[in-house]
Amino acid sequence: MLLEVANLSVWYDKAMLLNHLSMGVETGELVSLVGPNGAGKSTLLRAITGLVAWEKEITRRSTHGDIVLEGTVTFNGERIDQIPAHEIVKRGLILCPERRRPFREMTVLDNLMAGSYLLKDRDEIQDNLKKVYELFPVLKDRSNQISGTLSGGEQQMLAIGRALMSRPKLLCIDEPSTGLAPILRSEVFQKIEEISKLGITVLLVEQDVSTVFKMTSRNYVLSSGKIIAEGTGEQLLQDEVLRKTYLGL
Amino acid sequence: MDLIVNIIVSGLISGSIFALLAIGFSLIFGVARIVNIAHTAFYMVAAYCIYFATHKMSLHPVWGMVGAVVLVTLLGLISYKIFINPIREHEGAVLIATIALAMAFQEIMVLKFTGTYLSVPSLVKGYFVILGVKVFYQQLLTFCVALLIMAGLWILLMRTKLGLAIRSTAQDREVANLMGINEAQVAMMTMGISVGLAALTGAIVVPLTTLEPHMWLHPLIMMMAVVVLGGLGSLKGSFLGAYILGFAEALVVFLAPMGAFLKGSVALSVMILVLLIRPEGLFGVSFEEER
Repeated sequence: MLLEVANLSVWYDKAMLLNHLSMGVETGELVSLVGPNGAGKSTLLRAITGLVAWEKEITRRSTHGDIVLEGTVTFNGERIDQIPAHEIVKRGLILCPERRRPFREMTVLDNLMAGSYLLKDRDEIQDNLKKVYELFPVLKDRSNQISGTLSGGEQQMLAIGRALMSRPKLLCIDEPSTGLAPILRSEVFQKIEEISKLGITVLLVEQDVSTVFKMTSRNYVLSSGKIIAEGTGEQLLQDEVLRKTYLGL
Repeated sequence: MDLIVNIIVSGLISGSIFALLAIGFSLIFGVARIVNIAHTAFYMVAAYCIYFATHKMSLHPVWGMVGAVVLVTLLGLISYKIFINPIREHEGAVLIATIALAMAFQEIMVLKFTGTYLSVPSLVKGYFVILGVKVFYQQLLTFCVALLIMAGLWILLMRTKLGLAIRSTAQDREVANLMGINEAQVAMMTMGISVGLAALTGAIVVPLTTLEPHMWLHPLIMMMAVVVLGGLGSLKGSFLGAYILGFAEALVVFLAPMGAFLKGSVALSVMILVLLIRPEGLFGVSFEEER
């Protein structure tokens, strides 16, 4: 297993967002996490990439109640649930966050450079940049543009490109198609498939179940902080209850 | 004619000083959301350090300046570590802590140097005359050094890896974290740069002004007004806002009857006007994206 989550629970004050959740991703897979709003998909990605622990640390003395994080996350054979968020990317795990969140007032190129912040070797950075530009030619054309002025689709490409600049082994993408026009959505999905074919393992959170199930090798269905089903798209779609209640199809 | 030259000289110099102060203040606000009321108190402490070095230790003012910048930057980092960092996530508490810090510095200076007006000799003597107006070489030097410092800061922010980390953290510290940027460390370093800028400003301004323990108050108000005018967190806004206010102040001082007494009201009037008409300032950062 490249990524293994065991018995992971997360509370935000009294709300339990993840409930003894276990799951895993094998090297080379394209896995999706689907489920209704508030199921805990984003929280799971944030917990894996260390952001929940970071939030816990900075809100330690706040009056809003404590964040509790239990269970283990293992990546590439190493426990990472105790490691600060900014050191996790070094190990080859990165999150492309919800709502894209480019550094809006910086140029496209600076955004990409921030993605390879930890890399020391200039040649390696240039090589990564070349690969990202090959995958997303539009970013090359706009490299000196302020990223806040890009369209939503371009910003999504930038967010994925920025994540790829760190040369991840596992790329987690949170809701890449939200707020995009249908034609851009399919383009984004196509790019994600291309990334997967390059040998990068992808863990994808997405609302657009019907499209996602066509690309993935395996899927997890989340509800109320628990995995309630797992399988290929076809298997999951055969279950009538699952389809109607959780997938909205 | 000499009036115009006077206004230009005075506006350029005070504008540069306000710009340096406001940029430093905006920088740490942008990166760590710290409203550092003690910012200009550090500037005052630097000025006193130079006085101490030149008058009590008989050192050349340049050494005093170097020493002051180093010492005050260290003081800033220590204050950050002890007073600000533990409560960093609580903006209100930080605000109060920095007010307390500023008051403490003021009282320490009163105890050490009493409240009398003191002065430090110019680095360069003499003056030249443009259109009948005396311009001291020291004024020219202060203005040029201020521009150099700003250029240096621009290079640091736009051309170095630390600059990239600072800008990324200022934009979105959670995502910066994801990229492997240690935002706590970046905040600490930014605090050092910010206080260092305040100290440098104190160092270049001290030959042109008189020292007294309340000398941090007027620049503080001007700096706040600059930041409100330029937009909180925007360095470009701080830069332009500083010169606008510098010239506005000079205009009032030289043109209005009894203008020198109205000096303090310029900043406050501008602040009120901006807050009424355009609360986000000239280049305000919108905070809607923040959680």
